[in-house]
Order: sequence, then C-alpha cells, then structure tokens
Amino acid sequence: MTSRQVLLVVALVQGVLLAALVALIILNRWFRLRRSARLDPRRVAADASMRRWAAEATPLAAVLVGLARLPVPLAIDALVGWSARVPGERWRELAAALEHEWWARLVRTNSNSGRWWKRLECARFLSVGAMPADVARLVRLVNDPHAAVHVAAVASLERMESTPLTLAALERLPHLAPTVQAYYASMLRRSRPVVIQHLLKRLRRGDDPALPRFAEFAVRLAEPALRERMTALADHADPEVRIQAARALGSFPHRESVAALTRLAADAAWEVRAQAMRSLGMIADATTLPLVRAALRDTVWWVRLRAGLALMRFGATGRNALLEVELGADPDARDVAKLILGLPAQALAEFAA
Amino acid sequence: MSIFGGVVTGTDLAILVYFLALNSFYALLLLLSIPEIWEQTRLAEDDDFQRLMQSDALPPITMLVPAYNESATIEASVTAMLTLEYRSYEVVVVNDGSKDDTIEQLRHAFDLYEVPRIYPETIPTRPLRAVYRSRTRSRLLVLDKENGGKADSLNAAINASRFPLVIAVDADTLIEPDALLRLTRPFLLGREIAAVGGTVRVANNCIVKDGRVTDARVPRRLLPGVQVVEYLRAFLFGRLGWNRLGGNLIISGAFGLFRKDYVTAIGGYRTTSVVEDLDLVIRMHRYLRAHKVRYVMPFIPDPVAWTEVPESAKILARQRERWHRGLIAAMWEYKGMLFNPRYGRVGVLAMPFYAFGEMLAPLIEVLGYVVTVLGLSAGMVNLSFALLFILVAWGYGMLLSIWAVVLEEVSFRRYRRFGDLLLLLLYASLENFGYRQRTVWWRLKAFVTVWKRGHVWGDMTRKGFATPQS
Repeated sequence: MTSRQVLLVVALVQGVLLAALVALIILNRWFRLRRSARLDPRRVAADASMRRWAAEATPLAAVLVGLARLPVPLAIDALVGWSARVPGERWRELAAALEHEWWARLVRTNSNSGRWWKRLECARFLSVGAMPADVARLVRLVNDPHAAVHVAAVASLERMESTPLTLAALERLPHLAPTVQAYYASMLRRSRPVVIQHLLKRLRRGDDPALPRFAEFAVRLAEPALRERMTALADHADPEVRIQAARALGSFPHRESVAALTRLAADAAWEVRAQAMRSLGMIADATTLPLVRAALRDTVWWVRLRAGLALMRFGATGRNALLEVELGADPDARDVAKLILGLPAQALAEFAA
Repeated sequence: MSIFGGVVTGTDLAILVYFLALNSFYALLLLLSIPEIWEQTRLAEDDDFQRLMQSDALPPITMLVPAYNESATIEASVTAMLTLEYRSYEVVVVNDGSKDDTIEQLRHAFDLYEVPRIYPETIPTRPLRAVYRSRTRSRLLVLDKENGGKADSLNAAINASRFPLVIAVDADTLIEPDALLRLTRPFLLGREIAAVGGTVRVANNCIVKDGRVTDARVPRRLLPGVQVVEYLRAFLFGRLGWNRLGGNLIISGAFGLFRKDYVTAIGGYRTTSVVEDLDLVIRMHRYLRAHKVRYVMPFIPDPVAWTEVPESAKILARQRERWHRGLIAAMWEYKGMLFNPRYGRVGVLAMPFYAFGEMLAPLIEVLGYVVTVLGLSAGMVNLSFALLFILVAWGYGMLLSIWAVVLEEVSFRRYRRFGDLLLLLLYASLENFGYRQRTVWWRLKAFVTVWKRGHVWGDMTRKGFATPQS
C-alpha cells in the first residue's frame, strides 16, 4: 500500500468519524429536546396530583395514574422526592397501593438482577415504598456487594420496622468504611429497641474483632441502657475499645462513669486520654477539675487542647483555672490556656464538638 | 535512496508511529471513560443528597486556600466557600505574604481578629505572622505568613486544619454549592479512598453572582476558549479513563480532596516542587504502594469548581512552561518508579505514559515538523506522507477534542446555548492550527529552563469575574 493510499484511508476514516460526531451532537440535542417536551408535562402532572393527594384534595388513583405515565426512574425519583413531605400513614397507603402497580412489581423483580443499576433502582424504590413482604428482598439488598445498592437499601429502615432487616444492617455495620458506618448508624438509630438488645449481646463478647465498631456505634446512640456495658469496656485491652468507652461515658453523668474516666485520664494511649478529657468536660463533675487542670501539662498537644476545652465547660471555676494557668510557669499549658481563652463562643462550641 | 534519505524517512515513519500510538492511547482512555462517565452520572443522579445532609455520616473537611495577590477575587471566593452545602467543614485561608491588599480585604470583609497561634507544626513552614478568626464566620481561619510559595501555604494550612480530610482549593476558584457533598460520594460508597479529584472548568466569560457561576458561557476569545476544550479533554476523558486503568497521577491542585493522615505521612506538599499537585500525588502513590496500603484515587466528574484561565499569551506561556517543567522534574525525580512493577499500574502504565507520552511529546512533535519539512524540501518525503503525518498528529487530536465536547454534551451539559456548543466545536477544530504549535513551543522551552533556572513561579494577573448586568 502506498503512502497516498494510506492517506486516503486515514482521511476517509477521520472524515466519517468527524461527521458521526457532529451528527451525534445534533441528534443528542434533538433527542433531549423531544424527550423533555414529552416528559415534562407528565412530570408536572404527576407532581400536581401528588401535591393534591397530599392535601387530601384528590384520590390516590390519580397519583398512581400519574406515576404510571412516567418512565420508571422518573417515577422513583418522584416517590423519593415526595416521601419526605407526606406524613407516614398516608405514605403507607400509597406504598400499599403501589404493590399492585405493574411497574412497581417489575421494579421489585430487579432485586435479583445481575446488573447493579437495576438493583439500585429496586433499592431506591423499596427505600420509600417497601411493604412487610419486601423484607427478604431488602435483606438481600442490604447485603449487596455494590455500595450504592446497600446504602440505598438501608434507607428503608427510615420507614420500616423489621427485626431481620435491622439485624442484617447491624451485622453489616462493622465491616463497612467509616463514612458508610456513620450512615448506617444514623439509619439504625430509628430501630432503637431492637438495636439496643442486640448491642447488649455483642458488647459482651470481649474477643470479638468487631467490638470497637459496635462500641463506636453505641457511642452514637448515647443510650442509658448501654452505660454499664460501656463502663465495663473502659478496662478492655484494646485501646480502640477504650477510646470508644471514654467517648461514650461523657453522655452518662454517673459516679461509675466518673470513676472510669478518672482511670482513663491516666491511660497509656494519648487518644484515650484526650477522649477522657472531652468526656470529663461533658460531665463537668467538680471533683475532677484538678485532674483536668493537670492534663493541661500532658505531653501531647491534643490532650492539652481537650483538657482546656473541657475546663471551659466547668463554668466560672474552669475559666478561672485557665486564667491562672495562662499566667503560670508551664509554657505548654500556658499556650493552650491562651488559645482557649482567645476563642469566641461559637468557635469554642465548634472546637468542642 | 541515500543514507541521509533513509534516516529522514525512517525518523518520519517512527514519529508517525509514535503519534499513532499516543493518540490511540488517548482513544483508549476515551473509550474507557465512556462506561465510567455513565456509571458516575448514574450514581450522581441517584444520590439522595438531602438524606445524606441530614445524616451525620459525612466526614468533616478542611478547605485549604492559599492566596497570593488575590485581592480582586478573594472576598467573593471565600464567601462562596463559606456557604457551601456541607454540614461540617472549615476554611483555612493562607495569605502567602501577598504584595497587594489581600489580607486587608479579608480583614475588612470577614471582621477578623487575631488569636494566639498554637497548634503542632506537623510540617515545617515559613514563619507565621498572625492567625485570625472571624467574628462573623466561625468556620473561617486566616493565616498570614511570610511568602513561601503555594506548597508552603498549603502545608501551613494543613498544620492548622482540624479535620481528617483536606481539600486544596485555589483562592480564585469558585466551588459549586454541592461540590463538597458530591466529592465525598466515594467515601460513602465505601472504597479505600486516599484522594478524590473533581472537575475544574473555565470561568472566563461565565456570569458570576455572589461567588457562584450562575450562567456558564464559553469565552468568545480564542485563547481562553480553546482552554475550555483542553480542560474538558483533560477532565472528562483523560482522568476518567485513568480511573479504569487505576493510575490517576494528577488530582488538580485547584480542587482535590485528600486524606490528611496520608498527606502528613509523606511530609505534605514539597516546597521545592514546581507543580506541587503532581508531585504530591506521585509521592502518595509511592508511599501507599511501598507500605502495601490498599487505596484508590478516583476522579469524579460531577463536583465542579470554576477557575479563571489566562487570557494573555504571555501568562499562558508562563503557566504551560511551568506545568511542563514540573512534569519533567517529577518524572526525573521519581524515575525509579518508571516500569517498576512494585508500583503496580502506576509504575508500569501511568508513569511511562506521562514520561513518554506527555513529557517527550513536544520534543518529538517538533522533531516531526523539522524532519518533515526537511524531507519535503529535499524531496525525500512525498507530500502524501507529510499530509499523513499532519492527519495522524493533528486530525486525530482534533477528533479527540470533539469527542470531549460530545462527552460534555451527553453527560453534564453545562453550556446550554446552541451558540456555545458551536463555539466549543469551533475551538476544538481550531486548536490544532496555531494554538497547538504555540503550546508545543512553550513546553519545549521548559526543557531548557528546567536545567538553567530551577523552579520559579509565574505571576497570574487576575481580572476578577463578570457579574450579572442589573
């Protein structure tokens, strides 16, 4: 093949590709315009019927007709959008009615799909439209390998009370990335009684590798029923567990908590000491003030900072202690006192959070 | 044919094959970016952001904002940063010894007052002059320090930061309100994230109100206009394609989220580096691979930050020369990673691509022009061959640029006007005639200056953003 022939072939290929790209752009614009011209009125109509139904001005049937006229992803979007605005009892009525809709039945079958986006569609739908018969489906979706799917599925706990579903989510929690754990925790909080019963059991297993994560979750719950277990964990061998215990005990102003926190304030791990200071500040027991003040001389900056912030929560006595330290001989303690006393109330609250 | 003729023809053929291979690799990136953009768009659409915002799941973030002579835009930028849709974040602005009134602007706009500066200096930096908090904005912390460059400012901000994730943002960058929220999506999806990059778009000619881009418009002038296409190409298919190949080497310094513990573990940004973001990401790859940490550094396209690009050829030349100098320096500095299987796909794929595809490209392109012209004039290369060279080097490049416009059009469609779309297509076509050759020349100069001058930051003159007509 000569260079002239190669040139012709390359030019031809590039020309065709160029024409195809321009055609693609034009077709895409045209298709979008047509689609929005077709779908926008339907979307507006579905929205209007949903609004009227929410105000009890139209029967449920109108909403179902409106949703059925939308493509499935748009119908699910509309449902997710409206779910937060319609009261629980009326929403359950809609969810029950959707059970008999053809498109909703089709979406439910997607829980077994091999394609993650289909399962995601199903999970999103069930997060707002699940009925008791969907529990098995949801448990499967909560255990889905794709993060987007199980994150969407766990949101169903906002509306559903189901022990198997709650336990499935709770068992998955320790194996998730920290941010996802926090999200699961916020969902699980709604099923408090079941969660607490299960946590009480799990927190007793001292050798469980998932113990730090369950303890962390227990901290988020700040549930008085867990106080005793968390106090016992203050002497656990794993520093990660002791950190969580130190964090948790701040929510329980109890003499046993104070005693445990006093021990933790002398822990070998600085992270534990820092958390203990934070919790001692939350409890603000006057007997612990000298201990917190002494921590301003800790070797680790974070412990000193936490101690300084804690002192501010002791009221006038804590503030006076900081003022004294600010004029004292220890340079580290003096610096922290100066920093804390210089912070405005808002910054102080943010720092302390 | 004489020996000389053989050499000329052989060199030309080799250069032709080089461009064919390089552009084919770009085409591969483009193909890989298609499923990636589809997946990311789907995830972005399906996220229930309101639900996320109401939960306390989102990790707290510190925004690091180095500012050097940013007086024209600093108030609008910082105000916009302070009103993002995110629950827990702080903004640390570092005035890097500006020669203009940046610090006065900040002091006046945010009612700053001095506070004692005590936090551990994890990474050494140039001395701080003062630390300020704001009476009106509790999220804001301002550091005033002696001039030490962008990397030094970022390190100072890292030292002062309180949160586990840090995001480096240029002071002239306008971040979309939900960008932080979107940027944390990979963390919510539970992957082992070391860093996340978002999209940087060109703000020139866009309408900006209260520090927000309210109307995206393509610049009417050629120079910034072509840069819109360049940015689309770099972000929409370059980095998305690398997501699939597992070797993103650039998380933009103008908009990138990092885990602070990893950044401090590698000693923060290197003040001696010319392009600090590239250097940081390569060192982070090296550190994480060496310590056998499982991680990913994805780029996600939907969080958007807008930045002003140079409108004058002089400043653009300095910027491009500096970028290329940084690339050369990084490739030289980390040559031990090149083709080294110990560093996985980064060592075997990404580093060689950046070294031979990106770094050497201007040298080879110029060589191609010289040899082709020489060969043509001496009658050793026929016209068909010369045209073939042009088609492979430029025509292929033009097609890739148009593809980037197509990707933008089918996915995010920030430019709604038909006129803007036509302008983008026009710029994508014109890019190869004049603009490309100028960037080749600027990048070529980097080879010379890298040995002669060491690293020197160019000055960027900001003209401020356009505001809507009342």
